[in-house]
Order: sequence, then C-alpha cells, then structure tokens
Amino acid sequence: MYSFDIARPSSVADAASALGQEEAQALGGGQTLIPTLKQRLASPSVLVSLSGIAEIKGVCKMDDGRLSIGGGTNHATVAAEAGAHYPALADLANNIGDPAVRSRGTIGGSLANNDPSACYPAAALASAAEIVTNTRSIAADDYFKGLFETALEEGEIITEVRMAVPEKAAYAKFEQPASRFGLVAVFVAKHADSVRVAVTGASEEGVYRWSEAEAALSANFSADALSGLTVSGDGMISDLHGTGEYRAHLVTVMTKRAVEAAG
Amino acid sequence: MDKRVGLDSVAFTLNGAEVTTRPLPGERLSHSLRERLGARDVKVGCDAGDCGACTVLLDGEAVCACLTPTHQAEGCTVETLAGLRGTDKAAEALADSFAAHGAAQCGICTPGIIVSAVALLRKDTQLTEAKVQDALGGVLCRCTGYRKIIDAVLAAGAPHPVPKGDGHVGQPIQRLDGGGKLDGTELFGDDVAPTDALLVRVIRSPHHRARFDLGDLHGWAEATPGIVTVLTADDIPGTQTFGVIPAFADQPVFAVSETRFKGEAVAAIVGSAAAMQLLDEATLPITWTELPAALTISDALSQVAAEVHPDRAGNVMCRGFVACGDSEAALQSADVTVEGSFTTAFVEHAYIEPEAGFAQMVGNRLELHACTQAPVMDQEALADILGMPTDAIRIVPTGIGGGFGSKLDLSVQPYIALAALKTGQPVRLTYSRTESMQSTTKRHPAQITARIGATKDGRLQGMTFHGQFNTGAYASWGPTVANRVPVHASGPYQIADYRAEAKGIHTHCVPSGAFRGFGVPQSAVAQESLFDELADKLGLDRLEFRILNALDNGTPTVCGQVFDSGVGIRACLEALLPAWAEALTLTTSWNQVHETQRRGVGVAGGWYGCGNTSLPNPSTIKCGLRADGTLVLHQGAVDIGQGSNTVITQIFATALGVPVEQVTLVGADTDVTPDAGKTSASRQTFVSGNAARLSAEALRADILARVNADKTAELRLDGNVIEIRDAAKTHRLALADLPADAEGYVLRAEETYDPPTVPLDANGQGQPYAQFGYAAHLAVVEVDMELGTVKPIRIVAAHDVGHAINPVLVEGQVQGGIAQGLGMALMEEYLPGRTDNLHDYLIPTIGDIPPIDTLIIEEPDAHGPFGAKGLGEHVLIPTAPALLNAIRHASGVQITELPATPARVRAKLRERADG
Ligand SMILES: Cc1cc2nc3c(=O)[nH]c(=O)nc-3n(C[C@H](O)[C@H](O)[C@H](O)COP(=O)(O)OP(=O)(O)OC[C@H]3O[C@@H](n4cnc5c(N)ncnc54)[C@H](O)[C@@H]3O)c2cc1C
Ligand code: FES
Ligand code: FES
Repeated sequence: MYSFDIARPSSVADAASALGQEEAQALGGGQTLIPTLKQRLASPSVLVSLSGIAEIKGVCKMDDGRLSIGGGTNHATVAAEAGAHYPALADLANNIGDPAVRSRGTIGGSLANNDPSACYPAAALASAAEIVTNTRSIAADDYFKGLFETALEEGEIITEVRMAVPEKAAYAKFEQPASRFGLVAVFVAKHADSVRVAVTGASEEGVYRWSEAEAALSANFSADALSGLTVSGDGMISDLHGTGEYRAHLVTVMTKRAVEAAG
Repeated sequence: MDKRVGLDSVAFTLNGAEVTTRPLPGERLSHSLRERLGARDVKVGCDAGDCGACTVLLDGEAVCACLTPTHQAEGCTVETLAGLRGTDKAAEALADSFAAHGAAQCGICTPGIIVSAVALLRKDTQLTEAKVQDALGGVLCRCTGYRKIIDAVLAAGAPHPVPKGDGHVGQPIQRLDGGGKLDGTELFGDDVAPTDALLVRVIRSPHHRARFDLGDLHGWAEATPGIVTVLTADDIPGTQTFGVIPAFADQPVFAVSETRFKGEAVAAIVGSAAAMQLLDEATLPITWTELPAALTISDALSQVAAEVHPDRAGNVMCRGFVACGDSEAALQSADVTVEGSFTTAFVEHAYIEPEAGFAQMVGNRLELHACTQAPVMDQEALADILGMPTDAIRIVPTGIGGGFGSKLDLSVQPYIALAALKTGQPVRLTYSRTESMQSTTKRHPAQITARIGATKDGRLQGMTFHGQFNTGAYASWGPTVANRVPVHASGPYQIADYRAEAKGIHTHCVPSGAFRGFGVPQSAVAQESLFDELADKLGLDRLEFRILNALDNGTPTVCGQVFDSGVGIRACLEALLPAWAEALTLTTSWNQVHETQRRGVGVAGGWYGCGNTSLPNPSTIKCGLRADGTLVLHQGAVDIGQGSNTVITQIFATALGVPVEQVTLVGADTDVTPDAGKTSASRQTFVSGNAARLSAEALRADILARVNADKTAELRLDGNVIEIRDAAKTHRLALADLPADAEGYVLRAEETYDPPTVPLDANGQGQPYAQFGYAAHLAVVEVDMELGTVKPIRIVAAHDVGHAINPVLVEGQVQGGIAQGLGMALMEEYLPGRTDNLHDYLIPTIGDIPPIDTLIIEEPDAHGPFGAKGLGEHVLIPTAPALLNAIRHASGVQITELPATPARVRAKLRERADG
C-alpha cells in the first residue's frame, strides 16, 4: 500500500511550502483523489489538505463585474451563492453528482483534475475564466491541455477562479439514466462581444470550444443558427456508453438545447 | 507552519462523544468509524462514492464517509444513524415513517438513506418529491424500488398509527424484524467479526483465462511481516470443487494451474488487519500467462474454441426441452407468423452489501457467520470441502443486505472456513465491490430466436423457441435455468403446439447463476415482444390479444399440466384494462403536441412456477411452548429483506389461533432451526409457509386433544396457561404442570411440507410445479427521439398472489422487482473486466423509478397456505418486455438487444430514418 504523511496547513503560503516537498499532492474534497489512492493510481508521499484554508473559500462579485470563486469552494456553496450573479453557473454546480459530492468536492479540485466529463471545465472555458494560482494567473484558453492534463505545475495551487458573467448562458448536460456524471455536456455563453461554446465529455482531447457553433451563434444567437452544423465522430471518445459518432451527435443536440435554455 | 500530523491522532465529536483515533494518512472516515471507533451502523457498499451506504453527517452536511479522509474530520461533528436515533427529532420521525411504509427491506441502505434524509429535513420542511429525489440521489437501494422511501420521507412527522389486531393473514402489519434496520443495530455480514480477527484476501486471476504459477508463495508469506499463512488448493482437506447442483459440481475453491474466468481465486492470504491494510499484491511471486478466452456464446461454440471443461463437449453444459403438439405444422397453417431474435446482457445482482462473513473454531466445531440465502446448503458444501461431518459445522446467517439469488452460492465461506481451520483463529473476509462483481454469479446473457403464429381471429397457433444461455465458466444454477426456460417460454397463454429448447453454454466468463426469475425474464422479453408484433399484424388491441389467449383453469400448459383453480393471468390482464384505456388516450393527446419527446404504452404478462422444477423441495418448521407460556417459532427460512420472518409468523399465528405478537421468533441457525430450504424460486411463502401452517396445526391439535376440545375451539395464551374455549365449555391447560423436554418445551411440533410435483418426461410433459403465480405489467415511457433516452413515466402492476398474507410486503416486493426489471431493460450490462464497479455498471437510482400502482389479485391456490402463492420472482418478469413494448409504441422501433441504452435506441432510430 501507500505510505505517506498528511499536512493540514491553514494558509496558502503554508500549503505551498508543504507542496514543495518531494511527491507532495494537494487534497481538496478528496472526492476524486481518495478512491484513486486506494487503487494506487496516485501515490504521493505527502498529502496536503486544503480544507482548512479559509482564504480560498467563497464566492464574490468583483469590481470589474466578474465573479470570483475561491479554489477551495465546494460545489454546494457555488450553487447557493453564485445564483444571484450567474444563474447558469449555480445551476451547473447544483447538478454535479449528489448532495454528498457537492458538499465536499471543490471547484479547484475539479479544474485541477480535468476529468474529460467534468462540468466546471466547460464553465471555465465558456466564461473566459482566469485560473489564479499561488504563483500566477492562467487564461482558461491556455489552461486545459487534454484529458486529465492542465497547465498547472507541480505543487501549484488553484486559489481562485475568475469568471466573466455572460449576458445569457446555459449548461445542457446529457445525463444517462442512473449516472450522476454527464456523458456530453455543453456550456453556451453569450458575452457582449462574443459567444463561447464549450463542450465536455466528448472529445478525446478533453474539454474544447466548438468554434463553428461560436461563429454561427455570434451571427444569430438562436438554435436555428446551428441547424446546418454537423460534428464528426473522429477523435470523439468511444466507450461502454456510446460511440464517437453518438457523442458527436449529442454535441449538436445539447448545444441546441443549451441555446434554447439560455433564451 | 506546516502542521505535519503523520500518524498523529485526530479528534472529533462522534454522536455527541469526544473521540480520538489514529488513522493512517489518507484513511477513509468510513474505515476509521467502523474499525477503530466501533460505529458499524455506517455501512460500506463500494468504497468509491457510488452507493451512499456510508453517508454520515459531517458538521451537519451529508457526506460519503468513504470519500472523506479521516484527517479532514479533525474538530468536526460526525453524526451517524445510531447517534441520530433517540436524539434527533427528524431521525425519529423518519424511522416511524419508514416502519409504517415498509421502506426498509434488507436494510443495508437504510442508514445512508435516513442520514441523508435527516440532512434534508433539517434544512427544509416543505418537501416535494423532487427535493427528496435530489437529496437521496446519491444513495442506492436495490430492494425497494425507492417509491416507499419517497413516500416515507414525504410522510415523516405525520401520525403513523400502528395497525391494531392480531396480525393474522391478510393484515398489513409492520415487519417483525424491522427495528434493527432502522436504528443501525442490525448486524450484516461485515458487522459481526471480533476486532482482532485475522483478515483473508483472496488472490484472483487478472485474465479471463490464464495459466499460472504460484511461485514461492509460502516463502513470500514467511518473509512478509504480519502474514500468518497462505491458502492454496493443497490446503483443502476434502473435495476440491463445489457446486449447488451435485451432478454439476465443477467449481474449484482454488483454481489449479489454469483459471477459467477473470477474478477466479487461485490462493488466499491470511494476516493481521494491520498487515493486510498494507498488503501490496504486486509483491506476490505469482506469474501469469494469458491464454485465448471465449467470452461470448458464439466464441464458445466456434470450431476453434477451447473446451472450458473437457467432459462437456462443444462447451454445451446441458439442455432443457419441452414439446407438445406439432409446432411446425401449426406455424405452417397459421394465418400470420412473426419471428425475432433477441439478446440480453449479463446482469449483476448489485446488492448493496458485498459478500462478507467471519469464521472461528469453537472446540472441534467450525462456526461460520455470513450473509447467505441457503444456510443448510452452505453447511453441506463446507462439510465436503473441509472433510468434516455436517454436524461439526454451524452456519449462523447474519443479516443479509440483499441476495436476489446470488447469495445462494458459496462466496466467502470456503476461504474463511479453511483459514479458521488452518490458523485456529477467528478470520474475516469482506469482498470489495470489484471482487464481488468479478467473482459472484450473474443473470445469464441470452440469445433467443422465437417464432409464433396466430389465426386471423387472434388465436395463438404454434410457437418455437430456441435459447442459448451464457452460463460462464462453471455450472452454478445454469442447469436450473436451462430446465425452467422451456417450461415458461410460452408465457401464461394457451399454446397447443409448442417446441422450446434452452441450452447452457460455457464461456470464460464469471459463472451465471440464480437471479430472480432463473432465465424467465429473458425468455419473456422475446415472447412478449413478439406478441406485440403479432397483435399489430392482426390489427388487434395488444392487451385484448393477450386476454384472448390467456391460460384458464382447466386448460393445459405447454407441459400438459392442468390446474383446476388458481390460474390468475386473465384476472391480472383484465385488471389493467382501465389503466390501459386511460394511458392510450393520454399518450395520443401528448404525442399530438410533442415531436421530440414521444410517449408510448406497453403491456406484458408473465408467470412463474414456485419451488424447484419437478424436484423434492421440502421445508421444515418447528415450534414449541415453554412452561412459562413463551411460544417459540423456529423459522429457518432466511429473510433476505423480502419479509419471510413476518409472513411465515403471520401464517403460523393464524393457523394456531393466537395473535402474532405472542410469537417469539428464532431465526435461521443450523444449530437451532430445522432446514427450511433455500430462499429462492419464490418458495418461502408457499413451501415454508405451508410447513409453518402444518406445524401450527399439529401444535393446535395436540393442545385440543389434551383437553378433549372441539376442533373449532378458540385458543387464548394467557401467561403460562392456555385457555381453550369451545361450544361446550372453557378448558384451561396449565403449561407449568407439563414436563419439559431437553430444549425446555412442554409442547412442541415439527412439520415438513414438500410441494407435489410430477417429473417431466423426455418431452417436458408432467407437473413441474405445484403452483404458479401470475403477473401483468403496464408501462408508459417517454422516448427522446433526438437523444435516444427512455424515461419511464408510470407503471401499473397487477399480481395474482393467491392470498396477500401481508399487502404492504406484497407492494414492497412488486416495486423492488420492477426496479430490477427496469434496470435490466434500460441500463444494466455487466461486461467482465470492464464494469466491475457501480459507476460503470449502472443500477436505477431514486430518480429513475416512476410511480408504480400495484393491483393485488387473489385467485386462491389449491396448495398454498391460505391460498397464497409465491411472488419474489414474478415481480420482474413482465417489466422489461412491458417497457420495450412501450418504447416500440412510442418510437416505432423494436429494441432486440438489451439493455435499451440511449445509444442503442438512437442507433435504431437512425437505422429506421436511413431506411
Ligand atoms: C459520485 C460522484 C459523482 C460526481 N459527479 C460529478 C459531476 O456530475 N460533474 C462533475 O464535474 N464532477 C463530478 N464528480 C467529481 C467531483 O466534482 C469532484 O469533487 C471533483 O472533480 C474533484 O474535487 P475535489 O475537491 O474532491 O478534489 P480532490 O479529489 O481532493 O482532488 C482532485 C485532484 O485535484 C487536485 N487539487 C485539489 N484541489 C486543488 C487545488 N485547489 N489546486 C490544485 N490542485 C488541486 C488534487 O491534488 C487531485 O489531483 C463526481 C464525483 C463523485 C464521487
Ligand atoms: S461505501 Fe461510500 S459511497 Fe459506497
Ligand atoms: S432495503 Fe435498500 S438495499 Fe435493501
């Protein structure tokens, strides 16, 4: 089995220094990390628990109108507190997993993990987010690097996520019966100067922006604008739950439904 | 600064008490609570966040304890079911409501469910169904079908008067064994071992088929601290193989030199709990050579396939056959015929409790506590494996967190028994979810081709049926499936010319075995789907077509069996008529205004013979009265959540003529209860119920004879005196005056019941079962034509149970069975090696089960106790075909490959669109 230590810092500075040790790894809500420890997929020698760091929790509106979410904020808090400013985001958070996952799992953990079917990566891309760490700030467009891959360096901590609040937005998730993870989901956001369409759960490259749809919707923000568009099944995830073709088809349907829901 | 805690202690408040514990870093809170702090009311079903059984409140929020590192609980408040009960108002209200609604069946999910519901009720008292579904969305229940849970949470806090009366047959009394399920004190397979027990880890094949060499396993054990011993085939004193059907016993306790399925056991490691927590299987000296494997029926039947067992040529395990009349001639002369091929998947039982138990030597005897559906079969199998006399082995079934057929077979038992025997110490084994899914039996995948004909006025005319069932590497209950299917594949309809064959085919897959219905749910998919096609071709209403052809009293089944009474299928189908008419109207108007979300209605019938197919199948029940007036019922029929403890007691009390509350139940234990047979084949209410009735009648006759009272006399047990009142006078029998036997009984009775059957001849003609139960389901679904998703909207289920001994338990069985049928139809597909967990293998959650109306039909059975019939398997037989028929009605496509996943439905829709 694994043998490692656990650290429970109460500030980002302490956490960063604990993470400076050999083979140290951050522990957010543990909703993803704890099961992988048992399976020996990850075997750090030091676990640095972020749950005691108050300065990276909470949701607030910034002076420039963006929404700031602490990297250690759990999904339930986002669901409760983002609603007044960014309903589509609150709605997304409220539909992650089940109440137990929402009360432990964090936005930082979700973005750091970058699971191909996770929800927050789509919101971050569609909201032109800035992912702030203890050392720098990374634009969402530069952050996601493929399945489970991100721009984060070893030991870097997501302290804050800043999202531009769109004029209209919606997240449409294709939920399989009985599964709490979506198969394919699309976040559509109409900003003052652009439309962003972020797709999760479909591509073998992880979350991505569907540029054809963005172009079509920038000209005409309605589901009809998408009717000519098709998506190829090449490069799409194929697994137990559906072929690449099927996922490609879902991308088109879920995008339309997101646009309709955004109004 | 950096607060390194390492192996430091963690302090928190657990159920109001300050506790300190020293977990390993990264240790799960569920593990610390159960193993270090004694909170065994916290259950573990998956260790992966998928089942919610481990839900506790952490600072008031519901969390999965298995995903919470114990170190993060430092300074927090942790509450579990046991602590909430008695202190928390919401928990009390929920427990009352759960008891009244029968919302806990096996009870393994109940702690997680109630804790999650407490979190909800503390925040919100204006509940709606949707809020309850969301709050409990992460907790799985495999028994109830969730509807009673939703009802119970919504009704928490409302008054729930306990029904008054004597609790006799027909009364909806609360479960007699329910209390412990609602306060966390019921002990399941993993809850009974002493804390210092050694642990066993079974080492399993990582390949579907492989040659292996164990290497110097004993040397490894000696060199590894904390490891006490290893077990291999060489350690087996008795027979190496086991199997539930003696003529087919073929499964080795440990494979020797070659494994036949992924997850097959080759050895076991025994060590201290601390050492086993650190065990790294990668350090074992075992080497594997992967060999080509046949995973599907067609692979196994191909010319080049290896023989899974050298003595079973062509990988055919066995064959079942039924024929009457001349099916080919009848089909030739039929006005219309339909034909179709259907395939179904492996289905996992997915009870929330993985197999678990512990064993120890008590003197020269072995005592084994485990979750099981068949204590006496376990005892006999272990006697063979251990080379010990049967009476040197005591099996004490623990609470069982769901069985559904799979816990009829041995799982942990041989390993803990061998380890206890070899080490002389108590040993414990709990399967991980993956191990449970990899190594225990499944529902057989089927490949079925059937052809059915009818005359133009709608009468069935000829049917042929050919089914192949993937029985996996070992026989288990495969022969039972092969024999049962041809008897049932006609459905409960009149077909004079019939030919049906079913074969069990060996593959390099996990063994298929018993799962609610023994192959009949699969055959019903083919037959009932084809019936819809036939009715459409004939231009007949689909329900009317079934009613027209329904079996009746006095008409022969395809086995030539004729029942004079109790054939209830027509009544079940007719009971659906009002709901059918209403659903068709509503669906039509819905579809006029909805293009993408199309609705449809489906119906299907089903039947199931209770008990073994033409084989002896006795149950024995014992009862006794003590000098102090204690009335004891030795009830050895294992209650796996279905309610046999309650139902059998109701039958006994009714037959004796005393109130249920005066009966003291002694549950299954091979030392103290006679053999009431296995809990399978829907036989406990019927067979053990009859044994309980006979036992009560014998006791009653003895009492009446002693005072020379009339047969119709009324009994009253008043302290240590029985008052016997007949027309002539009131007699008093003072129990204290009677001599007591070695067990302390002054009066006793023990009776056996074995259902009358007649063996089947070469053409399957005979009397396979003494009784059948009947069912018909109606389903309404909504198909999203763009996505391929299917959303069940409503189900109406009519069940002929002969006589509902306890109507609340009947409803519970029906709803739970429907949830499993729905899973089989829409989402469940076990792929060996690929879906060994509860996030890739999907079972229905609380949001997937629509409202269910249960219509109880009572066509008394000639043999059943008070006319009652079995029910446990009937409940899911019509569900899958009713849903598939509703999908076809809604969307126009016939799904022939189960499950009907969104991707499959969408692919069919596209095929049709592409022409
Ligand atoms: C049953 C279930 C259902 C779920 N359903 C969904 C769903 O529908 N949609 C969805 O999006 N997700 C879902 N999830 C995943 C869930 O949202 C996780 O909580 C999340 O992905 C990980 O967050 P965490 O805080 O638990 O991270 P952890 O498990 O603690 O950590 C995950 C990874 O992130 C790193 N990390 C954690 N925090 C930080 C940080 N602040 N900075 C840098 N690195 C960090 C860790 O080192 C680790 O590598 C589900 C999970 C479960 C168990
Ligand atoms: S045991 Fe924790 S969710 Fe299953
Ligand atoms: S009662 Fe819910 S799993 Fe058995």
